[in-house]
Parts: sequence; structure tokens; C-alpha cells
Amino acid sequence: MLINRDVSKFVYILFIYLLLCNSVAQKIYVELNNTVPCVRLLNATHQIGCQSSISGDTGVIHVLESEADLEWPLSKGPNPPYMVLLESSLFTKSIMMKMKNASSRVAGVVVVPKTSPPEFSPHTTCPNENTGVYTETYDHNLAHCNTTVWNPRGNGLSYEEFDFPVFSLKEDNETEVIKQCYFDHNRVVNGSGLQYPLCAMQLFSHMHAVTDTATCMRRSSMDFSTSPVMVCDPLGGYNVCAFIRPYNSTAFGHKENESVVIAAARLDSKAFFLEDSTGAEGSVSGFVTLLAAAQALCEATQEAPRTRNILFAFFHGEVFDYIGSSRMVYDMKNNMFVIDLDNVHSILEIGQVKTCISINVWTYKCMDIRSNNNESVTNLVKNLQSSTAGLNFSFVETDFSQPLPPSSFQRFLRARAIPGIVLADHQTDFNNRYYESFYDNAAHLNLTYPSNLSPEEQLEFVTDTAKSLTEVATAVARTLFKQAGGNNSQVNKINADPKTVTQMLYGFLVRSNNSWFQVLGSSLRCVFCLSEPNPPQYYVGVAKSSHQANALTYLVQYLLANLTGTATNLTQSQCKKPDELPNESTYLYSYLWVQGMVPPNSTQRESFCVRTAVRLVKAVSPAFDLGDYVSKEYSTWTKSQWKFIKARIFLVASRDLEMLTLGVGVAVLFTSLLVTYFVSTKADVLFSSVREPNNAAY
Amino acid sequence: MNLERLPNEEKLTLCRKYYFGGFAFLPFLWLVNVVWFFKEAFVKPTYTEQLQIKTYVKCSGLGFLLWVAVLTTWITIFQHFRAEWGEVGDYLSFTIPLGIP
Repeated sequence: MLINRDVSKFVYILFIYLLLCNSVAQKIYVELNNTVPCVRLLNATHQIGCQSSISGDTGVIHVLESEADLEWPLSKGPNPPYMVLLESSLFTKSIMMKMKNASSRVAGVVVVPKTSPPEFSPHTTCPNENTGVYTETYDHNLAHCNTTVWNPRGNGLSYEEFDFPVFSLKEDNETEVIKQCYFDHNRVVNGSGLQYPLCAMQLFSHMHAVTDTATCMRRSSMDFSTSPVMVCDPLGGYNVCAFIRPYNSTAFGHKENESVVIAAARLDSKAFFLEDSTGAEGSVSGFVTLLAAAQALCEATQEAPRTRNILFAFFHGEVFDYIGSSRMVYDMKNNMFVIDLDNVHSILEIGQVKTCISINVWTYKCMDIRSNNNESVTNLVKNLQSSTAGLNFSFVETDFSQPLPPSSFQRFLRARAIPGIVLADHQTDFNNRYYESFYDNAAHLNLTYPSNLSPEEQLEFVTDTAKSLTEVATAVARTLFKQAGGNNSQVNKINADPKTVTQMLYGFLVRSNNSWFQVLGSSLRCVFCLSEPNPPQYYVGVAKSSHQANALTYLVQYLLANLTGTATNLTQSQCKKPDELPNESTYLYSYLWVQGMVPPNSTQRESFCVRTAVRLVKAVSPAFDLGDYVSKEYSTWTKSQWKFIKARIFLVASRDLEMLTLGVGVAVLFTSLLVTYFVSTKADVLFSSVREPNNAAY
Repeated sequence: MNLERLPNEEKLTLCRKYYFGGFAFLPFLWLVNVVWFFKEAFVKPTYTEQLQIKTYVKCSGLGFLLWVAVLTTWITIFQHFRAEWGEVGDYLSFTIPLGIP
């Protein structure tokens, strides 16, 4: 019993010691937590993005000071491979391509975003050139941007393939730790050689998919082992759609005598580091304008029904070869949507709208003489021009020889020559200096707030950008009203609300976790309860098999629902099952439980049920439904899967020291084997003991 | 199993079993045959059954070498060309490596 107590006491002390003592790994590695990796994407023909080796890539850290300094990691440095740390001004195509060509000496690249360069666009010069309406067969002169290069600043960096990992770090304590480590150990001091130990970084971002979409989808589906490993996922999400006058959502196909005007905008955007995408001018300006127009129009159409219906469509995944719009056109052609292409009267799309002195109007004059589309387009433009009465800008029609800019409208045109227009703020090529890049953020859209405002006051402050977008929204709402056959006398009463516009811009670009979004949001889907006040991610993400959309989709859905729907008196349980009530119908409407405001005298939110015509429509490329992974017609973009992604820094010793340690270890092993052998052969000589007389013989 | 304590007829039977067993696509049986009965066939002083054991050991050895040659050739070709064969290569594989073609 005494022995047991001592043993248990000893075990207890040992356990405490192990608990309090740091493990050896913690003493060696410093883990980096706020990293954004560059991942691998695949389509029908290529793979783009970055790949690391399966056990991570290690390299000696080198902070690049200028382009000439690139000689050190690429040729002069004595300890390859190097992990190059760049600031954002040096993250250019020429430097990246030089490192790509010397990839045996470069273990990886880490980008630290600092100040915005004057212009930077990692997208291609001709976005979505193969999936728009201007193909080789249509018109050779207009295909592949032969007439107008839309994104001349594009360097195509997002579409290159790198076989080393590229990570992005935020400018914070971790970057300071890295730089300190570099200055302590890795700095070359005036010709004298570098002394080991050196500061090194290891990046893990091993991607599972290779070659192209067809290969990775085949490998995902054919795994024989007990736990199949998914190799890649198709990109996709949900489109947000709302009719002014809703139809029965279970009745698909052509609707007799129904004519619909589609008002479209794009939701998503991307950047080189996908999870860091902000799309201020590229997409947010467009869909915020459309949301404000929807609100203005819904107030006006409460009283009288229109002759034509209006569909507000927010397409997701447009950056990746028009995923959302191609899906909608496919659904319409195959009777899987509530209307079909015959019901579509015209299309109005809002593209990039930032400056508002003059908005350019792109019209599509179709070549077919038999249809009367040209007249419809002229009517539409006439409606548009007359809707700017009393506003501070005008619509300018672009030259007939100009093709349409990349827009969702092009996918509808691929199927049928529907009249329509695209609104944008650029005459020929994009005005956006940061098209599809990380720098297309609130500052680029000139969202400046006076410095002495609290976050709540900033939410309410109407910026100049908001004012100009409100005017565009007003004009769009009035045009849609007239297109839908509205009474001309009522038109000038339609006005978009600048307060709504500025609150939306604040929420989407500066801080999502604000009080207005919380009021309008859902308590169940806690996407607004973001721990960081950052804007949502604008990249479309992978299409999940569960009916889960990403944060941006839910934000737009709930906003559109609150702006265009009506609040009802239903309780929460009634809101979940409204069919039992006499006046409610889930065929026509969807019912969302909204969080609501906190009244001044209590802490509990007054939640309520909103009846709205907003629906989420699945937006996955038809190529995946058809199983045609080499499709030239539809988007085939997929994203690779991975096991884990992490980064860490530590000190490395010289190769000589490592070999010496290994050699000494091996020598000790052999010596001990030798000694054991000799001792065992001479055991009877070495360990002679007095034998007891009455030992039992074995 | 200790061959020392077996009578010669039983050694011959054992050797024969392993020899015929190897024809069922089991080259390792032939390898075992060669290694185990090598001493019996070539080193030990002559006895009646030794000639037959010698034949079996020689044939097992030849068979095993043939298998080694065939398998080495096929494995080399497959490992080298699997990526280029695309779909066929994937259908022939049991586990496909991740992240490399």
C-alpha cells in the first residue's frame, strides 16, 4: 500500500510536469495564422494557381527590396532554395515570371499587401472571351477582343500556373515577427558571408487535383478504397431572383401571355488570392444600384399591376465563364425555370458604375432583319434617356461598332437575340484600374468618411459615391417602370433612397457587422454575426451539396427580401409553415424570419416574418449536370481540394551540421552494437558470479 | 520447419508441392523453394531423391527469374507512362496519387 501511494504520487507529479512544460515543437516553430493561400483551379483545358509539395516547401527567408535584388535568390545567394517575401508594389508579373522560371531556387513567395500600386489587374485582358457571344463563328473581327481590349492593364497573373506555394499575409504582428527574424539572422553584412542558423519558412498548400477538370472529376468518382478522397469540387452558388409579380414556383416552362423584363447584375468577383476578393467597382457598385432600384420600383408598383413583369436577377459566378447566367439560360431552354426565353421581352444589365457624369449605354444591334428587335432596343434607349429628367447625369449611347462588354447579357444573346442594354461607366476599355484584384475596395470607390465619426454614424453618412449611385438607381427604376408599361405620369415620383444606398455600400465594403444588417438579417443563419467586421467574401466558392449558400448570397437575399417584400404578423412557427394559413402560399412567396430591431426599452429583438418573392436559384454550370467536363459551351471551373494549409517559421542549421549530427548518431549506433556483441560473447568472462550449490539445473 | 529431421521422400514431396504450387501465379513459392532446398539439392552429399529435387529447384529458379523480368518490365512501363495514358492509366490504378499527374 505504501509503495502504491508513492507510485501514484510520482505519476501525478510527472503528469503535472508534462502539462506545464512546453513541448519541443512549440519551442522550435512559430505558426502563422492569418494566411491566405493561392489555390489551384482547373477548367476543361488547364490548371492554374499554385501547388506545394506534400510535405511543405521550406526556404530561407529573403525580403525583396527591389527588382534588381531578385538576383540574390535567383543566382547569387549561397543557400537556395529561398522563400521570397514581397511587398505589394513588387508583386508584378515580371518578377513572378522570373521566379517561375527559376523555380528550383525559389521555394515559395509570400506577399504582404501594403500600399496600392497605381494600377494592378491580375485578370486576363479579355475576360470570358470564349463563353460570351462574340465567338469565331459569330464574327471574327469581334472575337477575342480584336476590336476593343476590355482590360488592357490585365497581366493574367491569376491564370498562371506556379509550382511553388504563394501565400498572402496580412500586415500585423506576424509579419513583424518574420521581418525581425530576417533582420536578426539573414541580413548580409557587407560582404561577410551568412552565418547559420538562418531564418526559414515552410509553407504547406498541397493541392489534390491535377491536369484538368475531366481528370479530377473522373478520379473523384472512381476511387475504390473504403474512404474515397474527393479531389475537386465544381464552382457555383446560388442566383438571387425576385419577380415583381411572382409566379407559381412549381410550374416550369412557358407562361402564356406573360412578358418579362429582366434587370440583371453580377454578384461575384475574384482576386489572385481568392479568399481576399473585394469587388467594389467590379460588382458591388452594380448590384447595390440594382437593389436600390428594386426598392424604389416596388414602392411604386404596390398600387397598380403592370402589363409586363420584371425579374430582378443577381447572377453569381459570372467571373468564371458566366456560371450563373449560363445556368439560367439553360434552365429556361429546358423548361426548368418558371419562365422561358419566349417570355423574355428585354434585358437591362448594370455593369461597372462608379463615376456618374455620364453612363454609357451599350446596345446590341442584331443582324437578323426579320425580327423587330431593333425597334425594341430603340424604345428601350428612349425610355432610358427620358428617365434622367432632373438628375445630374445622362446616358450616352456608344458607337454602333463597339461590341458589348463582358456581361451576363451575352449569355442570353448566345441563345437568342433578345433586345437589351448594358450600362457601364467606361467608353471603350474599363475605367477600373484594379479589375478583379484585391485593391478594388472601398477606398477605390471613393468611400471616404470624415474621421470623427463612430461606426454607427459612418453607416448613416451619405457619401458622394452613394449619391451618384442613387441617381443611377433612380433612372434605372424609372426605365424599368416604363418598360413594364407603367403610367408616364407616375414616373417622376419614383426615387431611390440615398440612405439605403449608402448603408448598403458601408455594409458590403467597409463593415458587415453593422446594426442595419443585423436588423435585416436572419437569426438562424448567423452569417451576420461575423466575429471580424470584415466585408464578406465575393468569390463564388464551391457548390455545396447541402442547400447552403455563402454569406454574400444570404446578405443579398435578405436585403432584397426586406426592400421588396412585406412584413407580416406571422409568428415564428407560422413563418416556417405558412401553408396552413388561408391567405399565404409558399408556391408564390417565400417566408423569411428576420431578426428585427431592439426597441429602446428592452434587450430582446422584435423579430418578424417577411413575405417575399425572392428565391435562391441554384447556379452550377450545366456542364456538370450534363457530365461534359470538356465543354466549350459552358463553364467547367473546379477548385482543388486539400488536406490542410499552414505556414510556419523556424531556424535552420547548415547542411554540414545536419550531416555531422547524423554521422555521429550512426557512429554511436554501430559502436553500441559492437560493444553489445563483444560483451555478449565474453559474458562468462566478464560476469562471473559465485554459484549456489543447490541451484536447479536448467 | 526443420528439413534435417525429415526423411528424403517427404523432402521430395514438399519440394514437388511448392513447385506445382508456384504455377498458380505464385512466384514467391518458387523463391521459397529455391532458398529452402538449395542446400539439399546442391550442397548435401548425393542421395536417391536428390536428382529430382535438383530439377525442381532449377525449374523453380528459372520460373522465378522469368516472373521477375516480366514484372519489372511491366512496373517500369506503367510507372513511366501512367500519367500519359490518361483515362486508361487511371482505370488500371488502384490508388491514384494526389496532386501529381
